[in-house]
Amino acid sequence: MNIENTQSQMRKGVLEFCILSVIKRGEVYPSDIIEEMKKANLNILEGTLYPLLTRLKNADFLTYRWIESSSGPPRKYFSLTEKGAAFYKELEQTWNEMASAVQAVTKQNGRSNAVVTGETIKVHPSTENENPL
Amino acid sequence: MKKVININFKGRIIPIEETAFEQLQKYTESLRRYFANEEGRDEIINDIEDRIAELFDEELKKGATCITDASVSNVTASMGSVEDFEQMDNEGATTTNGHSSSSSSSPSASATAEEVRGNLSRNGNDKILGGVCSGLANYLKIDPTIVRILFALITLGGFGAGVLVYIIMWIILPVKDLKTNIRKRLFRNPDDKVIGGVASGIAKYFAIPVWLPRVIFLLPLILGVFSSVFRNMWWGDFDFHPGPLFFTGGFGGTLFLTYIVLWIVLPLASSATDKLQMRGEKIDVNSIKNAVQEELGSTVKERAAQMGEELKEGAQKIGTTISEGAQRVGAEISSKSKAFAVEAGPVAKSAGSGIGNAIGILFKAFFLFIAGIIAFALLMVLFAVTLGGIAVWPLKDFYFEGAVQNFSVWGTLIFFLFVPVVGFFIWTIRRIFNIRSKNSYLGWIFGSLWTIGWVCAIMLVSSIFKNFRSYEEVEQTVPVTQPLSKNILVKVSEPALRYSGHYWWIDNDSDNNGWDINDDTLWISNIKVRVEKSADSSYSVKTIRYSYGQNRKDAETKAGKIKFNSNYKDSVLDLGNGIAIDKESKFRGQKVLVLVSVPVGSKIRFDKSLSNKLYPFNIRINPGHRRYWKDEGDFDFDVDMSFDYDADTDYIMTSDGLQRVDGKYKSKNYNEQDVNEEMKNIQEQKKELERKEQELQQKKNNTDTNRYRYTPASPKAPEKNTKQIVQKLNTGSDSPFIPITVNAL
Repeated sequence: MNIENTQSQMRKGVLEFCILSVIKRGEVYPSDIIEEMKKANLNILEGTLYPLLTRLKNADFLTYRWIESSSGPPRKYFSLTEKGAAFYKELEQTWNEMASAVQAVTKQNGRSNAVVTGETIKVHPSTENENPL
Repeated sequence: MKKVININFKGRIIPIEETAFEQLQKYTESLRRYFANEEGRDEIINDIEDRIAELFDEELKKGATCITDASVSNVTASMGSVEDFEQMDNEGATTTNGHSSSSSSSPSASATAEEVRGNLSRNGNDKILGGVCSGLANYLKIDPTIVRILFALITLGGFGAGVLVYIIMWIILPVKDLKTNIRKRLFRNPDDKVIGGVASGIAKYFAIPVWLPRVIFLLPLILGVFSSVFRNMWWGDFDFHPGPLFFTGGFGGTLFLTYIVLWIVLPLASSATDKLQMRGEKIDVNSIKNAVQEELGSTVKERAAQMGEELKEGAQKIGTTISEGAQRVGAEISSKSKAFAVEAGPVAKSAGSGIGNAIGILFKAFFLFIAGIIAFALLMVLFAVTLGGIAVWPLKDFYFEGAVQNFSVWGTLIFFLFVPVVGFFIWTIRRIFNIRSKNSYLGWIFGSLWTIGWVCAIMLVSSIFKNFRSYEEVEQTVPVTQPLSKNILVKVSEPALRYSGHYWWIDNDSDNNGWDINDDTLWISNIKVRVEKSADSSYSVKTIRYSYGQNRKDAETKAGKIKFNSNYKDSVLDLGNGIAIDKESKFRGQKVLVLVSVPVGSKIRFDKSLSNKLYPFNIRINPGHRRYWKDEGDFDFDVDMSFDYDADTDYIMTSDGLQRVDGKYKSKNYNEQDVNEEMKNIQEQKKELERKEQELQQKKNNTDTNRYRYTPASPKAPEKNTKQIVQKLNTGSDSPFIPITVNAL
């Protein structure tokens, strides 16, 4: 049981949720999703994003459109379907419940909410450095 | 200095260094393999490639002159390597296992978990025939060798059932290039062996103590000892054999055979890679290093040398692959195979080469050889059947009625018999010459045609059954005036039924006796004569016509339509030489029974013509009852063709039944065949004699110096004699021995 494994598992669990929430805002290009995530200190490999998008698309949560680009061939822009929106809602609810539950549990240990979030933010640069990208 | 090439990558023209291009190809190839079992594989790879192309484009727009090794490295790093994906996936797997309840709500997570296994398909990468066994093994995550052995055993034990299953699966399953997911392979263990290391290898494979398989293999021997002890102990008064004998006999033999088969089929785990696979450890560089170090520490350095040699072999193999590739298509394929060889060579080598592969090739060659022979034989049989079919073709009109039946006859012939044979032949040819088509349209065509054939065959059989559903008889009495001599003669005055040669293609030889055919009538000498005791004091003769039919009425009509001549005159019962069946009533097993009732004390005599002219012919002297024929339902005229009587001999009816007047028993058990053969022999001898006679005649006419001339009245005869004498003298004087013997005398 090492710390990195636990951390990456934690990240992985919310990854889908985060990606969906980025797409929910409107049509996006996959590399924009990466950028957005990077800004929030959530690093994912592009190579893992495409399979995930394809799977979500095959599950009818996502749909895409070819949009002409100024530089080269048209690009694939993804957006949420109705089914995907419902799915996202469910995830959101689960996340909120879980977040409050985690907060409640961790508060009981005498630790403040601020410290917890501070720690999570700190964790990501360190994992990023360890990953030999 | 590096060579730069222009590539068209996803709709963009990209100038790229040659080495960078190779690196890129290697990367996409690795992705392709990684996502091999993924559902949307092509889409994913397309997306990734699109993105890579875009990134390259951006770089070029920023002012780079071409794509370098470094830029490819950067891009692939940001996309992530296969190893990164694997790491993620492994973590994902633990996540799903750990929190199954939470992850089950997410379809994508469960989808990934399922896709690890993949659908059941044939394996295009590792195959001997169609990759069925390999695909099955991949699905079950076991060693393909095991599946192959099982298939072989099923085929051998189940009279080819395995072949059928294999072919069906071959047709049904789609082909896929599966990457091996076997962690374990079955090997023979050279380090811990008694005979061949089979038991030890099995123990390693299943991670069980080694004594267990050994005891199982030894079981028949142990039980054999026990059973012999038991047998000696209980000899005579207690029968204990069946159980142990079963084990020692069938079961033991099977185990022994299994051991031998495994010994032959299983490769010896000679290299470190093999040993790791045998134990089921994951193979990577570290574990190989560990295993080698372990071995170096514990045993000899020999193994390391062996390993080195194997690596060298592998390297050579890679070399040949590259050169072959270069020769064939050029730079593109070359780099591809190089990339593949560099990546997969060292690890996959053990799986793809060695003894197992050699056995595979041998097996394949053997299989194809056998298949070729079978195919050829089948084709020959079909050829013969077709010829035979032409010969009996006229009979068709007497068998089948209606368009439906005729259609189903044709359908059965063509689709049910012809199609699979031709299909099998084509398949074998294609196999032998290694022609493979991607789509299995040939299989589908033959499959559907054969299905039509089945339908036709079933239709035909059922309609024939329908035609033979009822069996009826029609009785007719032949008027008889009671003979004063109290003796009647049964004979056939008509000439024997013989094929008249109406159809030229039916060979008109001596075998074609007892039937005849022309366009609208079929004659067969399907007549039986039976003698029974008369109820009163007078002779009586009945003919009973039998026929099958669709229903009672039909059968009766058909029986009534049988034409059979029989008349009685002056104490002679003259029977016809056969029965005539017209084309309309068809052949429905028609036959005629002539029943002669003889009063007690009266005599009957059978003429020789009866046995000579009625072919499928039988006489029963003491029938239990008249309906014997029908009750037995015997539709056969081959089973009982012996004469139960002697021709030209007086029989007398007694209260016990018919007996010979002179009190003797039947002199010789003649057989129809014997008679025929005897006749043939005699005829042949006669022909031979005639031929010789002719020869002699010819010689006589041609020359006068013929030594075999036998006409004594010939004036040249003395000359012949002198010549012979002269000859004799000459030979005598030439021989060096004769004078000596003379001297000695």
